[in-house]
Amino acid sequence: MTELTSVGGMPWALASMIGLPVLVALLVATAREASQAARIAIAGAGATWIVVVVAAAGQLGDDVPQAGAYAGGGEPVLGVSLALSFDALSAAVAVLAATIGLLVQVYSCAYLAGDPRYRSYACIVTVFVAAMNTVLLADDLIVLLVGWEVMGVCSYLLIAHHWELPAARDGAAKAFVMTRFADLGLLVAIIVVGASVGSYRISDLLVAVESGRLSDSTITAVGLLVLLAVVGKSAQFPLHTWLPDAMPGPTPISALIHAATMVAAGVYLVARLLPVIAASTVTTVALGLLAVVTMVLGAAFALAADDVKRVLAWSTVSQLAYMFAALAVSGYVAAIGHLIVHGAFKALLFLAAGCLAHAVGSTAIAAMGGLRRPMPWTFWSTTIGLAALVGLVPTAGFFSKDAVFGAALDATHVQTGAPVWLAWLVLVAGLATAVLTAAYATRLWLLVFFGAARASRQADTVHEAPAAMRVPVAVLVVPTLLLGPAVLAPGWLGAQAEPFHLGIAVLSTVLVVLPGLAVWAAWRPGVDPARRLGRARRVLARELRVDDGYDRAVVRPVGGAARLAVGGDADVVEAYVRGTGWGADRSSWLLGLAQTRNVATYVSLSVVAVVLAGVLLGVLG
Amino acid sequence: MPLLQPLLLSSALFGIGVYGVLSRRNAVLALMGVELMLNAVMLNLVAFDVWLRDSLLTGQVFTLFVIALAAAEIGLGLAIVLRLFRAYGTVDVDALADDRRADPVHVT
Amino acid sequence: MTPELVVFWLLSVLTVASAVMVVSTPHVVHAALWLVVTLGAVAGCFLVLTAEFVAWVQVLIYVGAVVVLLLFALMLTRSPASTTGATSRNRPVAAFAGFSTFGVLAVVLTSGFRGIVLDLDSQPDQLGGAAPPERIGDTRSVGEAIFTHWVLAFEVLSVILLAALIGAIVVSGRVRDRDRQEAAAGGGS
Repeated sequence: MTELTSVGGMPWALASMIGLPVLVALLVATAREASQAARIAIAGAGATWIVVVVAAAGQLGDDVPQAGAYAGGGEPVLGVSLALSFDALSAAVAVLAATIGLLVQVYSCAYLAGDPRYRSYACIVTVFVAAMNTVLLADDLIVLLVGWEVMGVCSYLLIAHHWELPAARDGAAKAFVMTRFADLGLLVAIIVVGASVGSYRISDLLVAVESGRLSDSTITAVGLLVLLAVVGKSAQFPLHTWLPDAMPGPTPISALIHAATMVAAGVYLVARLLPVIAASTVTTVALGLLAVVTMVLGAAFALAADDVKRVLAWSTVSQLAYMFAALAVSGYVAAIGHLIVHGAFKALLFLAAGCLAHAVGSTAIAAMGGLRRPMPWTFWSTTIGLAALVGLVPTAGFFSKDAVFGAALDATHVQTGAPVWLAWLVLVAGLATAVLTAAYATRLWLLVFFGAARASRQADTVHEAPAAMRVPVAVLVVPTLLLGPAVLAPGWLGAQAEPFHLGIAVLSTVLVVLPGLAVWAAWRPGVDPARRLGRARRVLARELRVDDGYDRAVVRPVGGAARLAVGGDADVVEAYVRGTGWGADRSSWLLGLAQTRNVATYVSLSVVAVVLAGVLLGVLG
Repeated sequence: MPLLQPLLLSSALFGIGVYGVLSRRNAVLALMGVELMLNAVMLNLVAFDVWLRDSLLTGQVFTLFVIALAAAEIGLGLAIVLRLFRAYGTVDVDALADDRRADPVHVT
Repeated sequence: MTPELVVFWLLSVLTVASAVMVVSTPHVVHAALWLVVTLGAVAGCFLVLTAEFVAWVQVLIYVGAVVVLLLFALMLTRSPASTTGATSRNRPVAAFAGFSTFGVLAVVLTSGFRGIVLDLDSQPDQLGGAAPPERIGDTRSVGEAIFTHWVLAFEVLSVILLAALIGAIVVSGRVRDRDRQEAAAGGGS
């Protein structure tokens, strides 16, 4: 990669991609009232979007990245340089993040209308976009870590937006602790890179890996540590449990952070460091196996979940695993294509779920049903989004998923970094996950929009969402439908695009239509098709008790240690403090006995003391 | 005549004086105990002077000084006792006990 | 057993007995009168010890002036009506203090000066120098000692007496209203 340390016109545009949202966040934070904050936030998001699109337009399809170092020339401070790099990968993800950021800002001003904490919410969302852009633009791993952690903080704050709810507080804490634990991996990986490469620049790292300067064990260590961070950030097995519990946050946040961008940052990081991962078979196999386990488990959990947002969260986990699986079998373009497409349709689905929650007042599936007629906009956009999720023919999801399968199929006979058995495993698991995906998507679709309306609900209270919420959903329908061929366009990511595989396409279409039909057959109005699962449903609804395991293995020992520390403080350390006070009290009582308020006693004691002192002097002297 | 004779007498007188000062509630009577102690000291001074045969008569001269000082002391002491009596209406040293306790808040 | 020793023994017994009466009698006026006996007996002791001038000064100032002063004080404070002179509460401690003081003094003096005999008849100067021809404790020799060698101390003593005089006048002067209020506030509680 070339490095342009001279600062031309373009690097300032790159800097403004980060600086502009920060400036907007400051303005939002100092806005006097909510409506002013909303205007500033939307205008700022729009301006950011324009900057990003203009910058990205020249970059998509271009093999040579733009790079700029803002370290002020000379030796970078402490080995850290404020280096930015902007290539096709960054551009694609940045456009996704900016687009969804803008739509979410528009959506939120209606969704959170009247919310007393709207200003801080809009501010944090803007900061989040800045942090995401930092991660995307960083060419220095330390700079990337800063953006990475700021995203984690924003995620924590936004999940806990409704901190009155215990579920929101617990979910925020859980997400923060789990991702922070995983982030330790990234930190250690950065330290290892700095020690072995001598620079924190990603470009230097990749050059070092290509030139074979680094030992295999170092590459494996860095790869595994990066994987730990990514597994946490993107909610992959075994750190997958935080994402569904993050759903008490506002729905637009789920769309922006927990579906389209932040969790996608993990995919982005693996894609960015793919040469490091692919250089070691161990990390490649680890990535592939984690992805396989996660995609099947996530889809299975989604099948039994009883909350719309939880279904979508598990589907996000499952779909992210698709991308990791594609990366494991060297399907770089397929993974990024699926990332972009998934970002679009998952944001659509979450925003539509927000419309449902806005109308019904809850996100529980049990509270819904028969919403097709009162909410036609939401119905049709959700239908298209679910079709893309399943991968039905005309939607973008069909093409991107086909690309993933195609990459796995290629890896079974073309020599790549991944072993052949892993490629087959990815292919089979991917197809199985597609079946499960079709099943849970059909179930969700039927339970929410068909059947009888719930008797507990007044029919006239259900209404279509306001325009500020409908329009972003409708806008997202466009990429959900049309992005597919674009993903297949040759060279858009600066690399060889995945060709279309007809055989796989037919197979996958059959595999998704059949379970959909089966679920439809099992469905009666008012009956959950998941009941057909029998006892397996209970097991899946408990999500294999992974959280119970964490509770036993981590939470309770830590709690016990905390209680021990508190007890030690109270019974041991404080005992000294209390004992000091008690001793002073007792000794003062003892001395107080001498205070008889009688002058004669004092004089008597003095005389006795003098006499005794004289005797002592005589005896000793 | 053994020197020990006046010395032991002075010791006894001094002990009795101490007892008088400490045990008497009436301030005037306590002053009498002080006088007894002073007399014990004077007896000692004279006895040693006689033993040493000092040409400057230090012991006896000091005894005279002690007598003068005792006169001054009794004058001042009685003045204080009178003052106490006028202020408190009693010369009982037990009744003059200071009942005020230190306020723990203000102890620094 | 010389005559001086017999006399001194008798005076000693009288001194101790009257001193005990001074500190133990419940009648305050009786205590003052017993004090006269004690002081007089001590003056007798001085005489036996050849300190003639000191003995007469003792009689004049102590028995004459101090005791009279004490009697006046007792009357001015209306103490004669009171018969409770001793503190019952503090008596054991006081007795212990008195006995221990006596014990320590007696032990120290006995261990230090046992076996020394006073020569009350001849006048050799043990510290050297010429022995005065007269008896050592008479008015003349004491007066010479005071007004030759000890004159400075004597003058200082006169200043102290003057200060005590002025102090006694000031202290026993009229209690001002402010002091009375302070006393009422402080002593009444």
